[in-house]
Amino acid sequence: MDEVISILNEIRPGQDFSGTDDFFARGVLDSLDLTALVSALESRYSVFMDVEEIVPDNFRNVEKIKAILAKHGVNPAA
Amino acid sequence: MKAVSSDTASKPLRRVLLVGDTTLDPLGRLLERGSDAPSAICSAAPYGQIYQILLDGNHPAWSFQPDCLVAWTAPQFTLPSVGKLMRFEPATHEDALREAEQFADAVLQASHRVGLVLVPTWTLPSHERWIQTLTWRPGVGLANVIARANLVLAEKLAGRSNVVLLDTSFWQASLSRPAHDPRMYAVAKILYSQPFFEKAAAEMKSVMRGMLGQTKKVVVCDLDNTLWGGVVGDDGADAIKLGAPDPVGECFQAFQSALKGLRSRGVLLTICSKNDEQYALSVIEDHPAMVLRKNDFVGWRINWDDKAGNLMALAEELNLGLDSFVFLDDSPQERDQVRQMLPQVYTPDLPVSPSELAPFVLSLNCFETPGLGREDLERTDMYQAERGRKESLDLSGDVEAWLRSLQIQVRAVPLRHENLARATQLLNKTNQFNLSLRRLDEKSFWDWAAEPGNAAYVFHVSDRFGDFGLTGLASLSMQGTEARIVDFVMSCRVMGKRVEEALLGYTVGRAKAAGADCVQAPPVEGPRNAPAREFFATKFAAAGGPAIDPERVGVPSLVSVREEN
Repeated sequence: MDEVISILNEIRPGQDFSGTDDFFARGVLDSLDLTALVSALESRYSVFMDVEEIVPDNFRNVEKIKAILAKHGVNPAA
Repeated sequence: MKAVSSDTASKPLRRVLLVGDTTLDPLGRLLERGSDAPSAICSAAPYGQIYQILLDGNHPAWSFQPDCLVAWTAPQFTLPSVGKLMRFEPATHEDALREAEQFADAVLQASHRVGLVLVPTWTLPSHERWIQTLTWRPGVGLANVIARANLVLAEKLAGRSNVVLLDTSFWQASLSRPAHDPRMYAVAKILYSQPFFEKAAAEMKSVMRGMLGQTKKVVVCDLDNTLWGGVVGDDGADAIKLGAPDPVGECFQAFQSALKGLRSRGVLLTICSKNDEQYALSVIEDHPAMVLRKNDFVGWRINWDDKAGNLMALAEELNLGLDSFVFLDDSPQERDQVRQMLPQVYTPDLPVSPSELAPFVLSLNCFETPGLGREDLERTDMYQAERGRKESLDLSGDVEAWLRSLQIQVRAVPLRHENLARATQLLNKTNQFNLSLRRLDEKSFWDWAAEPGNAAYVFHVSDRFGDFGLTGLASLSMQGTEARIVDFVMSCRVMGKRVEEALLGYTVGRAKAAGADCVQAPPVEGPRNAPAREFFATKFAAAGGPAIDPERVGVPSLVSVREEN
């Protein structure tokens, strides 16, 4: 399974993340999940997100998450 | 009264109210979504309203009807003087300690509204260096005042058995990442890092399990490459790695010391090993570096049979459920077999490095307990005495004569403050000989017994081999001339000795003395309480009960019952 999706599933089990373009608008993630997601990504990929990066827009779908990870030099397994 | 019905007794649900001065919602999420027992639903009150919520039972936060309260505050916010000292503004230690007392008083007041209160101790943010030269100086330093404020909490809260102070400095020390996350504080007023919340949630769940009596009781150890390095059958006793000067031997000895600590606090140690029994036991007795000796173990299966079967045999021998077992074995194959065959046994992966074995066992959070009583500290000795009893039966073969030779004595005592902790532990931990599987915390049980018409008794059992301790409990509820046995609980340690006959005889006698002409004992069906239900089935006037036939009840002549008022 897509690594990012499996991380998302650990934070919110039972939600469908694959076909959703905006997790926050669709209510599959909320602002508290965002902090948990940032922490999970940081420990999984040994990266450090700066405070201005921790905004919903950077994490609203799988592509956005991969883009912010790529900025930190990480390419998660598909 | 906070009783849980029998079908949820094994999986109780905690309603947890989180109160703090920063955002605690991430903790609530973790408590709710974590798979470890007990299940929880949480409500995080709006932060910064600590005193309003703790002091006012009509605050909307209480409409959630919690049975557990978490009051987690940061010293720099809840103790304004600490905040000032941190910023080098004028404030005294005395001011800060008065504020700590005020907080403790508010917690005490709120503790009457819930079954359990968890209060994490105060710690400074991990990046707060302050002035290291001065920080422990009395009357001046920040570390000094935080330590004293925590002691104020510890001393003031100790008076209430349902308030537990949690050691956040241990949580912090056990993490490899910082406990505080300034980014999340800026984003959402979340003071603590996600790993810190994860640690907090795990520890809180552990304490909740301990308070509910859901604790592990038995550790099963393998021998080769677990208690010592090497394979004794192949290498010989002289070649196994155990003790100084070999560093690997030191590690295995440290592991044994850690296990010995568990034994001393009431966890039962057993062995399950593929070895020659006589040879392995001789190594345990004679090897100069062994910390654990034969009399530290209450049972063993040292043979070539499969380990799952051996664990089942040990459970039967000790009369304890496999869900109270922890299995420690270096072999992934053996662990896998036990996990598949006996999923109720807790089978953690053991660290591969011997140096990690002792820290691993010392950090296990499955042995949590609300108290350490005489029954805990002497448990292994009690089981040793039980071995003596069984051996004396094997010699004689005549059960009736053997029971008489035991000279069993029962001391019946009303429920009192000094026996309440052990009585509640027995009520909550006993699964097999338990009529109604009622689970209550100390306060609820005490309050229930104090209601008019209700009474509770505890029973101390002993015989010529030793003292079993407080191992029985019965409670009665009277309505007119009808008495109901609400709880009837007996430890598995005294099963099979006609003690249950004596306890029931005494209990029915008390009901009659209180004016009852009919005694009922409605059984509640649980997954494992068949022993109690089968016993009562032989006592009912009509099949299925619940009325007891007084003709079938009486104290057997081989048990003597002494009453203490």
